[in-house]
Amino acid sequence: MPRILTIEDDAETAQEIIAELRGRGCAVDWVTTAREGLIKAVGDSYDLITLDRMLPDRDGLAVVTTMREVGVHTPVLMISALSDVDERVRGLRAGGDDYLTKPFAPDEMSARVEVLLRRRSPAYHVTVLRVDDLELDLIARTARRGEITLELLPTEFKLLEVMMRHSGQVLTRMMLFETVWGFHFDPGTNVVNVHMSRLRKKVDPPGKTPLIRTVRGSGYILEAGAC
Amino acid sequence: MLVRPNPWRSTTTRVVASYGLFFVAWALLLVLLIYWEVSNRLSDEAEHQLKERAEYFAAMDPPLLRDRLQAMYDFDLLHINAYGLFDAQGHAVAGHIVKPPQGLRLDGESHLYKVPADGGSPGSVRILAVRLPDGEQLLLARDAGLIDRIHELILRAVMWGLSLTIVPGIVCGILLSVRPLRRIREIQDCSDRIVAGSLDERLPVSRRGDELDMLAGIVNRMLDEMERLMLEVKSVCDNIAHELRTPLTHLRTALYRIEQQTTADDPRLAPIERAVAETDDLLARFSALLRISELQDEHRRAAFAPVDLAEVLEQVHGLYEPLAEEKSIRLQLEVTPLQPVRGDRLLLVEAFSNLVANAIKFTPEGGQVTVRAAQEPAGPRIDVQDTGPGIAPEHRRIVFDRFYRIDRSHASPGFGLGLSLVEAIVRLHNFQVEVGDPPAGACLTVRCWPPSPAAAAAQA
Repeated sequence: MPRILTIEDDAETAQEIIAELRGRGCAVDWVTTAREGLIKAVGDSYDLITLDRMLPDRDGLAVVTTMREVGVHTPVLMISALSDVDERVRGLRAGGDDYLTKPFAPDEMSARVEVLLRRRSPAYHVTVLRVDDLELDLIARTARRGEITLELLPTEFKLLEVMMRHSGQVLTRMMLFETVWGFHFDPGTNVVNVHMSRLRKKVDPPGKTPLIRTVRGSGYILEAGAC
Repeated sequence: MLVRPNPWRSTTTRVVASYGLFFVAWALLLVLLIYWEVSNRLSDEAEHQLKERAEYFAAMDPPLLRDRLQAMYDFDLLHINAYGLFDAQGHAVAGHIVKPPQGLRLDGESHLYKVPADGGSPGSVRILAVRLPDGEQLLLARDAGLIDRIHELILRAVMWGLSLTIVPGIVCGILLSVRPLRRIREIQDCSDRIVAGSLDERLPVSRRGDELDMLAGIVNRMLDEMERLMLEVKSVCDNIAHELRTPLTHLRTALYRIEQQTTADDPRLAPIERAVAETDDLLARFSALLRISELQDEHRRAAFAPVDLAEVLEQVHGLYEPLAEEKSIRLQLEVTPLQPVRGDRLLLVEAFSNLVANAIKFTPEGGQVTVRAAQEPAGPRIDVQDTGPGIAPEHRRIVFDRFYRIDRSHASPGFGLGLSLVEAIVRLHNFQVEVGDPPAGACLTVRCWPPSPAAAAAQA
């Protein structure tokens, strides 16, 4: 069971985070100040930390920086009311692993937590990704589904790579848009959907077990047939 | 319409010019008055003297007369007087005058005559002629050239005076108006910047405390108040958007949980999904509003770097091409090599994405959206042209207003913030965006160079 530390001074937001993460089978500890948070983060071993950007006693950025300085590499999800792209860049540069703007949808938050938790697994550095009979060669830039070679456009390749790296995890449209295209604005819900449906037509041809699934209200998931 | 400073129209030039004119006129009047008084006085005196002498000599015995005349005129050290004595037939008998001037009147009054002088040029002479009791004619003359010389002197003085007043007056006027005009130009540049959106700018105030400074001070106070009010309105708007977002998120969470717990065959699923989608829309609206507000922060310009717009447009094309294809719309990209512009790449991607998304939205199936980029002398120019219904001329200005939608029936998705966002980004970059006037469809043009001051004023 993953252990998560939530550093958040706003009780309501904290309750929301805790409810969502506990619902997904995580053990959550909650502290309200940067000082307590640092002590716990350094002294205890957690799988992930959610960190409010603005804490009463200290800036969230300073907390991440200090943690990284003393050698704590626990993934950190920064949560902030500051939505500006610059703020996001600043948060990630300070050592945060992902950045989420308040107010957030709980499923968006938990999807990001799942991805960060998985990121620790060594599978991140492989050169060939495989899910069921779908194979993606990152060096040769080729994709195969069983015997069929898939003709993918560069964007589709990137999209599939992200989906396969996080197979079994829900990826929200916002996450996909951020990771695949590197943009942080709202392109309209349709844009990612249309790219995804193009990819699905190629990856899941008729007669094959579909690997990519739509998760109602949230996003997409790619996983091996029997799910 | 703003008036560019013109040295000939400045108040200082006008004041100096009218003052100079008045001064010259007054001096001229004064000189003329003096001239008139002096010449009158001199004529009177000459006439008086001539008469006195005539009376004196006329009363004398003829033999004595000649001696006395000679004696008197010998003592005339200035040589301005002369006399002539002629017999009844007009032959000269004595004196300096050998021939009486033409048209001589023997009336005992003095008259001015032009006589040829020794030097050549004619001089004027005052001559009084009387017939003596014995029939002889006595001519008494007095040189009037003195008055001529005074006339000349005064004329010359006036000419000098005029040239010495007018020329330095004009030079002074121009010099005096240069400084205020330079300051007016500074004020104009500054107000151009304010109009273009930098509300924290203030008109320059010098330490001299003159009329321009007083005026600048008044305008600055007004700007302070306007900025305060605008910030207040902005913060109220921001706060509303901000405060409503949290409860809306809670609402969305609640709806989402219900959605998750509803099985796929439940008839309540569709309305719940719609409710979630509507809430997402509302949240997106608030985000867009707050985003537009964020973009008004000028500090973002500090992070500007050279951006290749051709690359940006290719990315946008790649992003929206599948969406266009789904609607059977051809999304065409025509790019010539472009010079890099200074800007925020991500924001420019966002702006052009919005333009392209908008064009796709309003283009019917089977239509075409063309993104055309060309380098113009001032900078790159990008047109996004579609084959949709187009934008009527009366809507062309207000399409950029927040929440403005041409399609009032709200039949098409979206919430009228896309173009406002585009405008905010374009404005931040000091570029220009406007709705063109194509023969068919709509065309939005982004000109990647600063607007001219007049255009900026017209836009605001």
